[in-house]
Order: sequence, then structure tokens, then C-alpha cells
Amino acid sequence: METATPLQTELKVFEEHRQEWVRSHLGKFVVIQDRNVVQDFFDEFEDAFRAGIRKFGGDRDFLVKQIWKTQPVYFVV
Amino acid sequence: MSTHSIRWNPFDPADPGPCIKFSVTRFLDDIEAGQKVGLEYSAAPIPTALIDTGSPFTIINKVLARTCNLHRTNPHFEIITMGGPCDCEEFCGSLSFPDSPLPRIPEVRILAREFYKETAYSCIIGRNILKRWNICFDGKSRLVTITATDSA
Repeated sequence: METATPLQTELKVFEEHRQEWVRSHLGKFVVIQDRNVVQDFFDEFEDAFRAGIRKFGGDRDFLVKQIWKTQPVYFVV
Repeated sequence: MSTHSIRWNPFDPADPGPCIKFSVTRFLDDIEAGQKVGLEYSAAPIPTALIDTGSPFTIINKVLARTCNLHRTNPHFEIITMGGPCDCEEFCGSLSFPDSPLPRIPEVRILAREFYKETAYSCIIGRNILKRWNICFDGKSRLVTITATDSA
């Protein structure tokens, strides 16, 4: 279900699993829609997105998120 | 391999940098599936993008991301600019370059944020696109030549 703030359910699921995934899949991308998680983890964002489309279709948004212990700082200059 | 040249005068302080026309849409498979069932899509706008080696990601105007109905993949993605931290949204979309022979990029990570004073362009083409291109600047002719090294 789409909530007022998009992808909040998916972000909650990510946080619930983050410590476990940091140990097993650090740096990989995970794909989540509602509480459903794509079983594979991916090296590249685009590969993860394509896997999300195959599993969930393109009708609704899904979360694609990289697994880090702490969020990296990305500089744009 | 396809090649495209653009003019850039780095010695003119008013020149924003090397720019290229672009078009952003939902990822290609989604549009093709829609067209097969009879959906019609209006022509995508063709705004201007700045080529920016200083950005790790491609970033577009948030209004453009919503207008083009891109597929959202993360509602919060923080970057740090010279003006300080900036909360972006993250999308996946397809990029093409209508005024050039450069190949379409079927799906790519695109961040979106407010563009306040960047009137000359509404997209920053970052290194996640540039890694697909070979870019050469000739200072004498003031020409930037882009060669697409792959189609993916």
C-alpha cells in the first residue's frame, strides 16, 4: 500500500533487517516492496531495479537500497 | 561507437559548462509494455543537462522527475553540496540524447532535487553516466567530444 510518505513500510523493513544484511551482504543492493524482499542481492543499482521489475512489475514503486553500516557521504562539487 | 561534439568556452565566466540536450522517461520496458496495450505517451520534454565530472550521480530537477512520472526507488538520499547537505529523492529512469547519436540508456539511477538558480540546465549528468563515455576536451577548438563506449 502506498502511504502518505512514499516507501515508509519498505524503509521500516530495511531497518529491521539492516544489521543482519550488513553482516551478510555489505555494499550490495536489496529490493523491497511492502514487506516482500527480493531474495537476491545485487552489486549494481540497475541490476537490482530490473530484478524488482521482474518480481513486482512496474505499476507501483519499490525500494532499492544499498546496504551500509553507516550511510556514506556523497559529495557533489 | 557513436560520437557527439559540443561547444564549451571555459574562459567565459558566464558559460555554465559543457551542456547537452537530453530527455528522461520511465524505464524503456515499461513504456513499450504500455504502448503494446494502446497507451499513448506525450512527447518527453527536451531540456538541457550539464556534464559534471564532480558529481557521482545524475541529478535532475524534482519537478521534471514528477512530470515524467519516474519510478521512485528511495524517498530520501542525502548528498553534500557546497551549499551544505541536500535531501534528494532517488528514481530509476531512461535517458536519451535527442540531438545526438549517443545511445539511449535504458535504465539508470537518477537523483532529484530542487534546482533554484540553475537556469541554464535542469540536469547534472554525473559519473554514473560518464563511465559509459569517453570525453575529450580540445582547448584550442573549445570542443568537447563524447564517444559512447558501450550501449548499456
